[in-house]
Amino acid sequence: MDSANVLIEPVFALGPIVITNTVVTTWVIMAAIALLSWLISHRLRTEPGPLQTAIEGIVATIEEAIVEVAPQYARNILPFIGSLWIFLVIANLSGLIPGVHSPTRDLSATAALAILVFLSTHWFGIRILGLKRYLRHYLTPSPILLPFHLISEVTRTVALAVRLFGNMMSLEMAALLILLVAGFLAPVPILMLHIIEALVQAYIFGMLALIYVVGGIQSQQHQQQEQGDLHA
Amino acid sequence: MELSWTTFVLEIINFLVLVWILKRFLYKPVLKVIARRQAGIEKRLSDAEALHADAEKLQIQYEGRLADWEQERQQARESLARELDTERTRKMEELQTALKQEREKARVAESHRQADALRKIEESALRQGARFATRLLEQASGPDTEARLVELLITELSRLTAEQIAALRNNYGNAPESIEVISAFPLSDDQCHRLEQALASITTPSISVQFEQNSELIAGVKITIGPWALAANIRDELKGFMELAHNE
Repeated sequence: MDSANVLIEPVFALGPIVITNTVVTTWVIMAAIALLSWLISHRLRTEPGPLQTAIEGIVATIEEAIVEVAPQYARNILPFIGSLWIFLVIANLSGLIPGVHSPTRDLSATAALAILVFLSTHWFGIRILGLKRYLRHYLTPSPILLPFHLISEVTRTVALAVRLFGNMMSLEMAALLILLVAGFLAPVPILMLHIIEALVQAYIFGMLALIYVVGGIQSQQHQQQEQGDLHA
Repeated sequence: MELSWTTFVLEIINFLVLVWILKRFLYKPVLKVIARRQAGIEKRLSDAEALHADAEKLQIQYEGRLADWEQERQQARESLARELDTERTRKMEELQTALKQEREKARVAESHRQADALRKIEESALRQGARFATRLLEQASGPDTEARLVELLITELSRLTAEQIAALRNNYGNAPESIEVISAFPLSDDQCHRLEQALASITTPSISVQFEQNSELIAGVKITIGPWALAANIRDELKGFMELAHNE
């Protein structure tokens, strides 16, 4: 039995475009996030309430995590990495809701996110360093390593997509199988593990994306700094 | 495990839209509020630091003022001490002078008091002596004493010089009609005769002499020539002695 085909179901179609439950769940999550963000943005006060404090805490924590890795480019990277973390946490945890399947158990969704990370790595690198300087980092420390760099770009992107997809799908499959075999309350420990795993996978995905993006920016800078030190 | 390209593309679009939404409605406003609060906190901190600096400045200023005041107070205290010393010295000198004057006054008053007491003692002694002599002579005097006094009077009268006699005559003025002779005891004829002769030698011989007796004289005689009286008796002598002591 192909479990992925079982779980991913088309909801409706607009001509050739088939809308699956993954996309619908994503839209619902997006709508919820957008609505919450809009409400918060209109109720921000200098002296915050409990909800604003929690939201500020989340944003500040994300910013601090990015600043720890890339202090100079934190504000540039924050929207992308922060959105990844927030979306993945909610998307991963949405699988706990009965009748709802996490979008991240769909390889198409995780692949889309991995491709976005891949593209954003180049986007931020080129935007901050310029095209020549950014492309030069593929030739460092030696042009011989260019194929390995190119392979790394592909494999890490695939790894990102498959890791998240595999973990989330396996969790849901495990919970489903235990529910089928053992009964109603038996999957509870698996669901608790699901929470932890959802948070860990969101953190890993976001942190790896951050490291890839920052690595693309700072590897070239770091090399230039070393050369400058040698000349000095 | 199939890759749906529709889902793939839609998820990319969805996520990019989500990034835009979060950037627009979450990150920017929240970071703006955090930055505003941070700016407010920093402003309050800077204000507090400025206040602290002002307070320290004021503290230094007030400490300086306090030091100045302390110095001024010390100077004022020293000045006051000097003035007090000067005033005390002056007062002590005045007191010493006043004490000296008071002591001199007391000494003078004491000497006066002593002199007065001595005088009173002397007067008392003289009075007592006079009373004693009066009592003694009242007991011891008699016609013999009177005879010796009469003799002494006659001798003294005979020794008067012409100037003294002229002065005596000037004293009693116009010649009186009579001369009164008072004796304590009855005089003998001889004594009367000799007295008349002696009185005649210093007055006018035509004036008569009348003899009388008064025992209060104790012994001796008292001669009255007009306003002038000549005493040669113990009572008048003792009286004169007492008056002499009183006059001294």
